[in-house]
Amino acid sequence: MIITSPKPLDEILDFLSPYTKVFIVGCDGCTQPPRGLREAKALTQLLELGGRLRGKEFETKTTTVAKQCDSHLIATMLRPQTEGIESILSLSCGLGVQTITEVLPDLVTFPAQNSIFAGMEAREKGTFEEWCSACGDCILALTGGICPVTRCAKGLLNGACGGTSNEKCELNPENDCAWCLIYKRLEELGRLDVLKEYRPPRPYRAIARPGRYRE
Amino acid sequence: MPNQETLGTGQTSAITLNEDYCSTCTICYSLCPFEAITREPETGKILLDIDKCQVCGLCYSTCPAKAIDTLYYDMDSLTDYLERAKQAYQPDNLVIMCKGSAPDFGGIEKMFDVPKFVPLSVPCVGRIPGEIFLKAMTMGFEKIYVLACDEDYCRFEEGSAVTGRKLMVFNLLLEQLGYGKEVISLKQNSLKVKVDRNKCISCGNCLFYCPYDAAKLEAPEAVSFDLELCRGCGLCVALCPAMALELENWEEERISALISQLSSEMEKPKILVFRCQWAVFPLLEEELAPNVRMIELPCASRIDALHLLEALGNGVDGVLIAACPEDDCRQEKRSKEAEHIVNLLKKRLSQLGLEDKLHFCFVTPRHPETFAEELRQFKEVIEAGCLKERKK
Repeated sequence: MIITSPKPLDEILDFLSPYTKVFIVGCDGCTQPPRGLREAKALTQLLELGGRLRGKEFETKTTTVAKQCDSHLIATMLRPQTEGIESILSLSCGLGVQTITEVLPDLVTFPAQNSIFAGMEAREKGTFEEWCSACGDCILALTGGICPVTRCAKGLLNGACGGTSNEKCELNPENDCAWCLIYKRLEELGRLDVLKEYRPPRPYRAIARPGRYRE
Repeated sequence: MPNQETLGTGQTSAITLNEDYCSTCTICYSLCPFEAITREPETGKILLDIDKCQVCGLCYSTCPAKAIDTLYYDMDSLTDYLERAKQAYQPDNLVIMCKGSAPDFGGIEKMFDVPKFVPLSVPCVGRIPGEIFLKAMTMGFEKIYVLACDEDYCRFEEGSAVTGRKLMVFNLLLEQLGYGKEVISLKQNSLKVKVDRNKCISCGNCLFYCPYDAAKLEAPEAVSFDLELCRGCGLCVALCPAMALELENWEEERISALISQLSSEMEKPKILVFRCQWAVFPLLEEELAPNVRMIELPCASRIDALHLLEALGNGVDGVLIAACPEDDCRQEKRSKEAEHIVNLLKKRLSQLGLEDKLHFCFVTPRHPETFAEELRQFKEVIEAGCLKERKK
């Protein structure tokens, strides 16, 4: 999932200041924590309250889209609802904001969120954790299903650094040392032999940006 | 009237035991679902521990010696209420319903097929003393309808079961007295979640939050609920990102309509209270200050951030949320979840400098002062805030 955090209301109110008729659009796709209809409505009400404090009455409209990063959905589902609208406030990750900008160039689209990372949801802990960096060269098969590229702060490929202490990372002791996790997992699987092989530095060509993909 | 004040604490107890009247028959002891009533082994003396008491009122309604008294819905206030209502509307029917399971009045009308009735809504029908049925008949009511929660879902565990047994006895008694057969009729009900499968995005949020494992998700279908397991707490409704869920009788629209109606009739500074129906028991003769209005919820977990915002948007100056303490919560500690929802919203409101307009508190009906005090303090904060705003 793409993890996002809400932008401060003042920042949003600032960039919306030239506009009155604002369309607030949630995303039911992979944006987490949920940025669907409920969150869009809550944000609408918060902006109306904040607007009033600045002496401004917004004319708002609120909806949600199954996934904002789908150009066809934006063209077919969102476009027909945009009549009389001056500006769109998107609750999606950066992809939704850009997709709407691309498909509906006559409107100004703003982000309501900061996109932070691709994360898994640890429900019981109530946290989202960055476990994948979309590096384009997946080595999970060799590391017991645990990604050192993302979960090791240094992105090391050949085992723990000297800074690991009590199986925690020296840069942030709240984080497990990814290489300790990998070692334990491979031990469980009886595959410690995999670690004997030296892995050369990663080919950064694989993540040349911007990426494009076709299937 | 026994002294309602417990020694030492200075707080009023909602239930009191008068030892002078107690015959130590142990009926209350054997009925209390919360082990708040104990019996001294040597002397047989009955003791009440108010801190364990959940104020269900079962002991009050069943004590043959009238040794137990309650602040809420005692014989006197019930009789007063019925007399006033009977005179005002002249209906033939009385409907006594448990707050936990009753639909709105339209739903009651359909359920019992009674167009005109006096409604008496109480937290657990088990607390109604049987004598009130006799009183009602002498007042001229012809039929009494009782709506209890399904026995498995009774918030006070024994309330519905006790009601069933009590009604059997009083129906026989009334028949012998010549009032006819089956004068009191009983129905059991419990409110459930409703899902709009067209709106469901299959995100699985309700599966995670449902304390009773009632939500089922089988890909690629929309979510479905096992209504046998659902207890109608409303937590899934308040947290559904797609707003695909509704709780019977506490529908989004119904609460919204209530918010706008109440906020328009209040005086400034307007204070709207959302309270869990088990955390604060209103009195039948409850009179509210002209600037305070209340909205009852089935459980604090139905607290919806959108409704709190809606109240503020409607010009309400302060929103107070009253939930049961974690250990008392009848919905498996879901009041904690409500606190979390309110805190998150408070954090966002603080970006606008509006955080003081929201206050969450844990209260219990066992000491009515706790809620009164929270409300008093909150009013002070809001009034001071409004004064400051005006000066600007």
